[in-house]
Amino acid sequence: MSPALAWYRRIVVGVLCLIVGGGGAVLLSVWASWYWGAAWAVLALAVLVTGWILAGLFRGSWGYTEGAEELYLTYGVFVRQLVVIPYGRMQVVDVTADLLEQALGIATVQVRTAASTADTRVVGLPLAEAVRMRDRLAARSESFSTGL
Amino acid sequence: MPGGATPAPQAPTLLPPSVGWRPPPVQRRRPEDDVTAGVFRAHWMTIPIQVVAVTLVFVALAGPILNSFGYAWVVVMTVAVVFGTLAYALPTWWYGTFGLREDHLVVHSGLVLRGSREVPLSRLQAVDVVRPLFMQVFGLAELRIEMAGGDGSAIRLRCLHRPLAERMRVAILAHAAGLPGRSPEAPEWPFYRLPFVLLLGALTFRVPILLSFIVLLMLATAGVVFVEFGVVGAILPLTLGLLRHFWGPLTRYTDYYASLSSDGLRLRYGMFQRRMQTVPPGRVQAVRVVEPLLWRALGVARVEANVAGYAGARQGDSATLLPVAPRRTAFALVNELFPESEAAYVPLVPNRSPVPSMVGVDERLFVSTRGLFCTVTEVVPVERVQAARLVAGPLSRFTGRVTVDVDTPPGPVRAEAPGREAGEARRFLDALVEYGRRARVPSAGTERWATRATLTRRPGPAGSGRPTFERPDGGADTFQENGRTDTADTSVESGTEGTGDTPGR
Repeated sequence: MSPALAWYRRIVVGVLCLIVGGGGAVLLSVWASWYWGAAWAVLALAVLVTGWILAGLFRGSWGYTEGAEELYLTYGVFVRQLVVIPYGRMQVVDVTADLLEQALGIATVQVRTAASTADTRVVGLPLAEAVRMRDRLAARSESFSTGL
Repeated sequence: MPGGATPAPQAPTLLPPSVGWRPPPVQRRRPEDDVTAGVFRAHWMTIPIQVVAVTLVFVALAGPILNSFGYAWVVVMTVAVVFGTLAYALPTWWYGTFGLREDHLVVHSGLVLRGSREVPLSRLQAVDVVRPLFMQVFGLAELRIEMAGGDGSAIRLRCLHRPLAERMRVAILAHAAGLPGRSPEAPEWPFYRLPFVLLLGALTFRVPILLSFIVLLMLATAGVVFVEFGVVGAILPLTLGLLRHFWGPLTRYTDYYASLSSDGLRLRYGMFQRRMQTVPPGRVQAVRVVEPLLWRALGVARVEANVAGYAGARQGDSATLLPVAPRRTAFALVNELFPESEAAYVPLVPNRSPVPSMVGVDERLFVSTRGLFCTVTEVVPVERVQAARLVAGPLSRFTGRVTVDVDTPPGPVRAEAPGREAGEARRFLDALVEYGRRARVPSAGTERWATRATLTRRPGPAGSGRPTFERPDGGADTFQENGRTDTADTSVESGTEGTGDTPGR
């Protein structure tokens, strides 16, 4: 996976921590006293550091390989999963990229099957690679198609 | 009887036919019986029903307020409401049409917001004819056509004249089977009829229900004896629970009758709400056989299924295929739903963890049995596995136990094999994937089942009958052995244990 995936998560966590931590700290210092605000800021900083480390671990945990007739997908830091999706069972293959992902040049390939329980996404691929992968998967899901 | 050439009345005497007698009318299909052409709409009876309902509600709600202005106001406003409703209901009824176009169903609806749906019937998942009590009175029926898109994708044609609904169902199933729409209905042969006594007994003979009844009785006695009205606070939720879990199934599954046909499984049941469900072949994605603690003493079980169309709010209503049936019948149904396979012959392997469970996979089926008190046997055909997962939770680092999850379309069945050792689970997953790969035949979809030849199976790679899972330490893996090894757990006696040898398939 591209290192941009880790940066994506870091930016999201960072911005959230900045808004919630900074805003909360200011409000708390105004309403209560300054040390409540400082405690809040420290808490936000701790969350930021944890998120920063987790983002790296998360990127490292994500992997996929395209087998002969199945897509293998592995991810998870606390709950590790290995997901096997037969090509013939794929109903829809999407490529999505939100604004931040576009800025970082990455995209998410979302694979949908008739079962809605599993989170079957390939995240953090470079856009061109994601589009190529979508086309490959779509072609294979067509050629291995067995209906529902 | 003399004169056999002339049709004679069924009279005990040998007198010639009287003058007024006519031969009984021959049941001939009339042109209007053909539902494959033309457009249809709901029964005209819906308009007066709607008008009366809206007017009654209006009079009940606004009547007392208007009455203070004078009697004439009530009459004038009521008449206005009647005509207003009529002005809305009449065009809605007239424009809400549906009809068959080739093997597509076209449904137009709405007056202000015109909607039009065209549905390829080959993708159909199930067809139900539902007749609530209110509709039975007027001879109406609702036709529900379930597609594979989840909750919003079902098509509900409400308030149809009942013969029209029945004929439409036959035509829709014929189209879905790949036959011309005018084909007659496929013959059926009986599978199971549920006696009311068994239903009543089995529904009563469950631990929660029995406990509720006992507590209810005690509370009521205490309330009467001590003239204490506080017990109502406890009686009310108990009664509601019993209504939901005892009275509900009792009325829903009264007069339950299941039959098999080439169009799949047909179920008819219900007292106040008559239902007729048709689940075409190959539409059942997964099945589970549930045996609560006390039911095992009776030797009965319940069969529930995942059907892609029965997702969402109605899945609890429709997902039950057999509410109460002898275990033998329940597993016979599983074998009927998944032909060329035998759920009882799948070799099962117990896990060595506090919560007993057994799991096994063969060329056709994934089977798992678990539950300490309520034994649940889940059966998923390997070619219908949507995704297989190996899940290692946060504790798995210490226990070394992982879960094999088999994803199916949403429904009551959530097939999984919890608490397996990591290496064993990985071999199991590989076996599942390999069997699934072999079982999925690209040409063998489930659409247009009547026109397909018998399903052929893809031969495996040359020289390997089944994938091997030799242990690294050389011992034969338990997946090759049968499941009746150690274990004093309850699930062994569930009967799905392996018989050791899988007969030649």
